[in-house]
Amino acid sequence: MWFHPFNPWKAKTLSTSFEQDLLALLPRLRRFAAGLAGSPADGDDLCQMSLERALANREKYKPGTRLDSWMYRMMRNIWIDEGRKTTRSRQTFVAEEAGAGVGGDGAQEAAVELSNVDRAMQRLPEDQREAVLLVMVEGYAYKEAAEIVGCPVGTLNSRLVRGRDALMGMLGEAQ
Amino acid sequence: MSVTAEELAAFADGQLDAAREAEVAALVAADPTLAEEVERHRSLKGMLAGHYAPIAEEPVPDRFAQMLAPKQEADVVSFAEAKERREERRRIPRWGWVAGPALAASLAIAVFLPRGGEEVSPYADTQLAAVLDDTLVSEQSADAETRVLLSFEDENGRYCRAFSGGEGGGIACREDAGWKLEAVGEGSEAASTDYRMAGADDGDILAKAQDMAVGGALDAAGEARAREAGWR
Repeated sequence: MWFHPFNPWKAKTLSTSFEQDLLALLPRLRRFAAGLAGSPADGDDLCQMSLERALANREKYKPGTRLDSWMYRMMRNIWIDEGRKTTRSRQTFVAEEAGAGVGGDGAQEAAVELSNVDRAMQRLPEDQREAVLLVMVEGYAYKEAAEIVGCPVGTLNSRLVRGRDALMGMLGEAQ
Repeated sequence: MSVTAEELAAFADGQLDAAREAEVAALVAADPTLAEEVERHRSLKGMLAGHYAPIAEEPVPDRFAQMLAPKQEADVVSFAEAKERREERRRIPRWGWVAGPALAASLAIAVFLPRGGEEVSPYADTQLAAVLDDTLVSEQSADAETRVLLSFEDENGRYCRAFSGGEGGGIACREDAGWKLEAVGEGSEAASTDYRMAGADDGDILAKAQDMAVGGALDAAGEARAREAGWR
């Protein structure tokens, strides 16, 4: 009648498994974040913000649904929000970077080629960049990627093609 | 029949439905230009996947592992934080721990509480005192309307007993002069015509007991020893 035992052990077990599931996702989340943000360091900052928001909003996650989609969506929303705040500085940064790296010697060629991919990705519009990353790097089906982004599948498909074509144009010689 | 750039990409990614996939496969097989585009798509995909793969293969940085560490480890790391949480728990009445061992077999006895008069004695009347003196929680029978809920020691070293019943409940602590009523539930002060559900304010009483108790509720053996010593 009056005895409602509180079971802290059970609550602790549940919360631990949420955190462990996030930990298991973390390598993939860092990869996605680095692709969105343009560098591993900026990606880890984005990753940290995403984890903080996930922990603060854990009660909004519905157990049994896909935690990876939930996290990718949260991360991508934070990235879009942050991007709007800092669009101007990013454009300046990209313009300076685009002029760099010309005429490296042979020993640096491999490194230059890798950073060419980063640079080309940074020059893609945000909607194309996330579509390319979700499908071509993270390996999501179009339908899953569209749900993460929050757009129709057809829209996701055409963003992917435009992003892909732009990348091929920029990286033409590298291929 | 032709194929759009979107369909060709979806074909390369294995995202077409089976019927359309077969049609596009036939077109690609018959047209080297289409086959080359599919190959370029797959080649770019392989290049991007390879470019970003090393990040996912790195060990996770410590700062993230710490953020996601189970909370009980964080408690151990910071004594100050652990102390703060402990104090917070004490402010929140959560009396399951204090009641748990004592409530296993509770029962009830009819008790008449002091009520109605302008001058109410701070001590339990004879009948209530008899109950408090004699009744062990573990020996009560299940069909009466007043129960001894639990017994504990307070910070002054007094034995105290929380009780509850149809006429209300409270907490009494044993002093030389008798059982001093430290807390009395609403039921005992209300007019006797008021009908109250037995145990309606048990939660309040137990929360109060938890505030007063030092070291939790007495178990059956502890109660028996206390009774033997005359609750002093």
